[in-house]
Amino acid sequence: MEKSRIMVIDDEKIVGDMAKMSLEQEGYEVETFLNAEPALERLKEKRFDVVVTDYKMKGIDGMEVLRTVKRDYPGTAVIMITAFANLDAAIEALRGDVHDFFPKPVKIKELKASIKRALEKELAAK
Amino acid sequence: MNVTSSIMPFLNAFARAFRTKPRDTAPVRSAFDLFGKVLESNNKALETIADMGDKLGGGYLFDAIYLRDAYGRLREDVRHSMAIFRDLTHNRYPQLDDSYERIDGLIARVLDDKPSLSDECVIPLDSISWGSGQGAGGKMGPIAEVRNRLRMEVPDGFVVTTAAYDEYMKFNGLGDDIRRLANAPSREQARVYLRGAILHGAMPPAVSNNIARALLKLLEKHPSASLALRSSADEEDGNCSFAGQFASLLGVSPEPLAVELAYRQVLASLFSDKAAAYAAQKEIPLAKLKMAVGCMVMVDAVASGVAYSTIPGEHDRGRMMISSAWGLGESVVEARTGTDEFVLRKAEQPELVQATVREKKTMLAARERCEPVEIDVADERRNMPSLDAGQLGALGKKVMDIERHFGNPRDIEWAVDRNGVIWFLQARRLNISFPETHPPQVVASGQAAIIDGLGVIVQHGVGAGTVFIPKKPSDIFDMPKGAVLVASHDSSLFVQSMPSLAAIITEQGSAVSHMAALSRELQVPTIVNVPRATHILKHGQEVTVIADADRLAVYDGIIPEALGSTGRDFSRMEAVYEYRRKRYILRYISTLHLIDPLMNDFMPERCRTLHDILRFMHEKAVAELVDTAREAGRSFKKRNGVVPLDLPVPAGIMVMDLGGGLVDAGPVKTVGQDTVASVPFRAILRGMLRPGAWHADPVRLKARDFLSSMIRMPDLATAHDSTAGYNVAVISANYVNMSIRFGYHFNMLDAFCSGNAKNNHLYFRFAGGATDLVKRSRRLELISRILGSLGMSVKMKGDLLIGRISGLPHAQMEELLEKTGTLIAYARQLDAVLHDDRDVDRYEWQFLKGNYGLR
Repeated sequence: MEKSRIMVIDDEKIVGDMAKMSLEQEGYEVETFLNAEPALERLKEKRFDVVVTDYKMKGIDGMEVLRTVKRDYPGTAVIMITAFANLDAAIEALRGDVHDFFPKPVKIKELKASIKRALEKELAAK
Repeated sequence: MNVTSSIMPFLNAFARAFRTKPRDTAPVRSAFDLFGKVLESNNKALETIADMGDKLGGGYLFDAIYLRDAYGRLREDVRHSMAIFRDLTHNRYPQLDDSYERIDGLIARVLDDKPSLSDECVIPLDSISWGSGQGAGGKMGPIAEVRNRLRMEVPDGFVVTTAAYDEYMKFNGLGDDIRRLANAPSREQARVYLRGAILHGAMPPAVSNNIARALLKLLEKHPSASLALRSSADEEDGNCSFAGQFASLLGVSPEPLAVELAYRQVLASLFSDKAAAYAAQKEIPLAKLKMAVGCMVMVDAVASGVAYSTIPGEHDRGRMMISSAWGLGESVVEARTGTDEFVLRKAEQPELVQATVREKKTMLAARERCEPVEIDVADERRNMPSLDAGQLGALGKKVMDIERHFGNPRDIEWAVDRNGVIWFLQARRLNISFPETHPPQVVASGQAAIIDGLGVIVQHGVGAGTVFIPKKPSDIFDMPKGAVLVASHDSSLFVQSMPSLAAIITEQGSAVSHMAALSRELQVPTIVNVPRATHILKHGQEVTVIADADRLAVYDGIIPEALGSTGRDFSRMEAVYEYRRKRYILRYISTLHLIDPLMNDFMPERCRTLHDILRFMHEKAVAELVDTAREAGRSFKKRNGVVPLDLPVPAGIMVMDLGGGLVDAGPVKTVGQDTVASVPFRAILRGMLRPGAWHADPVRLKARDFLSSMIRMPDLATAHDSTAGYNVAVISANYVNMSIRFGYHFNMLDAFCSGNAKNNHLYFRFAGGATDLVKRSRRLELISRILGSLGMSVKMKGDLLIGRISGLPHAQMEELLEKTGTLIAYARQLDAVLHDDRDVDRYEWQFLKGNYGLR
């Protein structure tokens, strides 16, 4: 069976590296990006089941990623993570139909559970 | 828990009392106020440290923003605490500011992501720990860990760090050449140039001087040593071994020039053709690598070899492989001779399952200060196994311990010397992958847990081993490796044994205690606040402890499937380079080096972390309060603010109330026990007045004692004994400082007992006596044993005994204070009845059983 594919976009290498280590342990295929532009290019080449993206990034930010994914890849869930967690950001993301929203530091166990729920939701929708 | 709310009611009560009390108690009130504020700031800082330890423990994705924010808060709390501490101690410790500035600077380097986290060129092996980012490289870091944490035999030595490598390249103007290597028209030629430039380069003075100093120190201990210089490249992600790709040189003379020459050869090997080919395969730019060099005393090996703690390519992770030959191990790693191979099954006692003994025609023999030479093996030994059964068993056990410690399979080089001692020379990560194990199956197995869901997890993980329940603090030094420590309360004294523990369980404890910080730093699975743990679990019982997000349980027996391939569930995040680099910040924050305030090295200059600084301030704040209160009690001239305490025994105690220590009954000439509101003082009095503890009749001194003291033991039953007036207790609601003189000996006790265990302490001093030195010594020995049995840490210096304990929860502290009060009363005339050493045993046993007779 094909592995589920997760994309992680965060301008801090440590976040991507740690996410990759922990998510690959769950059997996922993981690709990481330090900014959104090459990530969105990659989405054109390969299908991803879940995109985990930082909210605030230079250039294309997390909300732009969310809008692009929802428009062009409706079967792909988006999870937002941010160091600047506030109510406005959460509301904005939820209105954008984000699957989940986590303030940093993100508990890895909760991220894994959220990804699992997103995948189950996708499967049910098919 | 809100720290402020636990302190404020007390401080408010104190403030009210302060407005009405006379001036001559002002110094101690001021000291007490400042003491409370130091505690409050310290506690806030400790909570931030605990949070950082948790968030950087491998269970969270974090970034630099979190690190800066958290450190910003911590910095503020520490600086605030230091400002108050300066006031309290009248700036008696200016060196503390220097230590703080130094540590703050090092933390700033981590936060700013400076590439070299330590600017030291040469670091002794004793000072290195794995994952610390000190620039020791991928080989020397782990082997230093084996030496310093696991306390296994690793040869003495030092590391010339990656900072020295940077300095060497900069000093010789090679930085640009290295950076341009990837784009050079001919990389091969560029490498040839670099190798030549390095081999003929000048040694930077700083590096040269540091190497010379380190060699001198090494030669002091090993005057006839030969040295091995081992490459230790700073690999980025730990996934590339570079095994055999860089130079290692044996038989190097410990002369500075010889070592420098060998050093250059190892550096130059970074740009060898084979290293370049390997790096290209792994897509690692050579320019990104830095080379540290380990310099170690050579082992005169009878047999050596390599051990793989898990066999690559096998699905069964329960087996290890040991390869061995006569002489030095290079013949094994370079396959120069026939090699014996042994496969062992991992177990409490590793079991040999397969042995292949090959003909070993030659061996590599060490020569003094020369390169080793290949010689023929004597005929009778060629087909003998190069390791016997005992050596295999001992080596196998240590290999398992090493794998367990690092949490992943290891490639281990070892040697056995002429005395049969097993030495370790390398413990590199073995890069093999396995299908992941799933969470423990114990839930499905139907096995009931003996402890289920009770307690607070301080550090996640799974550990299994034999339960060890210490009866007194010194027992922890007898704990076997791999034990599961089960104790009534947590203690920073455990740190000395922690690295080798499978797990820790305490009945009382805190997620922000010193021990908790250490558990997280050392990643020892730890659960605190498990009621009656020391009763439910039995000393010597085998158990499996599971402390993870899904489960908190302790099972009877060792459950291998819960452990996977290692004895301890270690964070795999350690394999992520960026994670290791960022986590290094904890090395300057939470690691505790200043452990025992009674030791001579408990000084501000020895503070290496912010945790050390907080601990130093706490202990010295207590000491300052003790001294101030004692002075206040000693020097009072008028009786304003002090009243005699009327007790059924003639203890002659005067009481000074700082606020909340006495029930407010208006102006009185004396107070009774029932008007004492101070929690710790009430407990002490209960103990002192325990039936049988206070002996009213004087014990007659024997003639010899009379001659040695020239005076009879005073009978304190008389009302006009002038010494009684000097006994003073300075008290408040949660505090007592007592100076009590009975006859010719002195007790001094300082205690804080509140609802916040972190703030609680008991400090006790005993000195003097009327009898001869031998009997006085026996009394000290007896008191020391009793205090030790009660859980206190005790030191003796001549006629002086000092006992202390801190961090006990309220109920336990009260109980301890009561027993100490009983001991104070009991010990009054003890020395006169301790006629021989057996009496010490007898009276110790009697006291602990509650029998206070002195006949």
